[in-house]
Amino acid sequence: MTRPGSPLVTGDDLLVLHALRCMGFVSLARVAEATGLPGPEVESELIDLAVAGLATRVGGDFGGWGLTETGRAADAERIADELDAAGTRTVVAAAYEGFLTLNPELLDLCGAWQLRSAGGVATINDHDDPAYDARVLDRLTDLDRRAEVACADLSAAMLRFRRYRVRLAGALARARSGALDFVTDSTASYHAVWFQLHEDLLATLGLQR
Amino acid sequence: MTWIHPLAPEVEEPADVLGAKAHGLVGLGRLSLPVPPGFVIGTGACRAFLRHGRLPDGLAHELVAAVAELEAVTGRRLGGPERPLAVSVRSGGTGSMPGMMATILNLGLTAEAADGLAAETGDRRFALDARRRFLASFAAATDAPVPDDPLGQLTAAVAAVFSSWDTPRATTYRELHGMPHDLGTAVTVQAMVYGNRDRHSGSGVAFSRDPTTGEPVPFGEVLFGRQGDDVVSGRSLTQPLRVLADREPAVWAGLLGAMRGVEAHDRDACSLEFTFETGRLWLLQVRSGGFAGAAAVRVATDLADEGLIERSEALRRVAPEHLRYLRTPRIAAVGEADVLARGLGACPGVAVGRLATTADTAARMAADGPVILVRPETSPLDMHGLAAAAGVVTARGGPASHAAVVARAMRKPAVVGVADLTVDVAAATVRAGGRTLPEGTLIAVDGSGGAVVVGHPRLAPAAADPHLQRLLTWADELSGDASERPEAQRLRAAHAILRR
Repeated sequence: MTRPGSPLVTGDDLLVLHALRCMGFVSLARVAEATGLPGPEVESELIDLAVAGLATRVGGDFGGWGLTETGRAADAERIADELDAAGTRTVVAAAYEGFLTLNPELLDLCGAWQLRSAGGVATINDHDDPAYDARVLDRLTDLDRRAEVACADLSAAMLRFRRYRVRLAGALARARSGALDFVTDSTASYHAVWFQLHEDLLATLGLQR
Repeated sequence: MTWIHPLAPEVEEPADVLGAKAHGLVGLGRLSLPVPPGFVIGTGACRAFLRHGRLPDGLAHELVAAVAELEAVTGRRLGGPERPLAVSVRSGGTGSMPGMMATILNLGLTAEAADGLAAETGDRRFALDARRRFLASFAAATDAPVPDDPLGQLTAAVAAVFSSWDTPRATTYRELHGMPHDLGTAVTVQAMVYGNRDRHSGSGVAFSRDPTTGEPVPFGEVLFGRQGDDVVSGRSLTQPLRVLADREPAVWAGLLGAMRGVEAHDRDACSLEFTFETGRLWLLQVRSGGFAGAAAVRVATDLADEGLIERSEALRRVAPEHLRYLRTPRIAAVGEADVLARGLGACPGVAVGRLATTADTAARMAADGPVILVRPETSPLDMHGLAAAAGVVTARGGPASHAAVVARAMRKPAVVGVADLTVDVAAATVRAGGRTLPEGTLIAVDGSGGAVVVGHPRLAPAAADPHLQRLLTWADELSGDASERPEAQRLRAAHAILRR
């Protein structure tokens, strides 16, 4: 199906199925944002998945679209098949190694964004010290550059991973332009996307957290 | 010697040469407390290494001499086939950078030396476990094959610790904590003591006072049959320190004596990392102070009452930032409450609600009132449950885990790293402290102190804390102003007088 050297392209149905696997119960808009597909297309895929018994929509304040048990099993099988068919297990495993090296530092940075030591006491960072926030963002920018290198092969092998680069870079750019929510707080924050990438690498390799 | 200093009471080099860890160990030695013999490679060698990309001239010779001295003191040979000496190789700069730099344990345990250790102890399993830990820690630190000769191992390990000063994560840590980048780390090399040796061995951490409340009772945790890194990693199930009183009375008595000695000397609360091997206590690290919030207030007033410090010093030790806890509710008298388990507070505040074991049930139950989500750990799949919950508890993870980051982002009181906790999703129950609680049970989490409590506990009006009231009375006496003002302001007025 794929020419050697060109990245594997995942079908829209699996893209949407797997987005739910990595995100939990989420709104249609967030699935669209994660996959980069237009909203109506995502909705039509979601309906197909629901008809097949793989996805379901739960109402209420904390509801949204999510996978059924069958959907979860189907995703595990299809994602593993895709990995084997593309022959990219080694590339993904290496990217995961690189990710694990960066993950503690990313979590340090998120912690420092939320709490800072004042007089020896960890207190909530109320973002009233722009110099401190700038220090955190500078280090996050540096980490993001290293993450890009670690994930370059991954995106070159499987196109669907390229979306994480776009989303991470977007979150960082918004945080740097003053939208402070885009480091840890918003559902599209750097941490939220990173957390999903972590889940995706685990799910793709069939590993437990 | 130029680069290397013995870990001996007469050593007078300051902490910026020896690193805070070794400096503390030298202090323990002066108090005649038990510290494994060893030596320190000073921070100067690290700076030279980072400048020139190789270990400084003369260090190799000094290492040979220092190892020979250590062999003489212990009556063992590094990597020897009989009575082998193994050493720990640890980083330690002027300031604390916990977990940022490399540590190698059991170095010198070549395959041959491990055989020797097995023969000496009559315990092959122990010897192999020790060798396995060496290989794992060496691989994690160096990314290079293990040299056959023990001195080659030591040289590579020292270089690896020096290099770890400049890893991106360590650089980020210093940047975030306003620490200089050019100081370098010292390396402490000590004869191994084996917490994994036998039933009468183990590791732990001991506080001279309760770090949550400041109460003058020893507090801490212990792990039998394990080396210290297992305690710190939070991956294993520790027991309360107090069990040592019955199981290893000599170790317990030794710890109490050591904490008394350190407190009297440093005039502050302290904590000790320790290992005991076959019933014999060894101290591996000491820290003074570092208590925060209500605990800082309690310790300062108690130390003044005990006559260890002046009241003015008690006031100096409580920064106004420590009073921020006044605005965060806490569970009152945790000692009297029905404590289910304890973990690490990851996001301050108290939440009370009904227990849910999955994100889905949390989202469902939240329609009928507040819910506490209790999970082994959290993944993105739990996000809707976290959003629905009033508070969060996880069995695994530390204050810098995804769960902690998300809880703080959502401002939910959270307790993480409750090692004693098992979540049985199939049975919809939670087990901890020998008890099983079904979903729907009313529980409370205290995200400051890390307690998980059954039922609806009494919440503390923090400002009524009698120790705080005493401290503030002292502050008013000093400033001569007894008018009604916010607590932090009363403290600041006293600090202004003290600074004159």
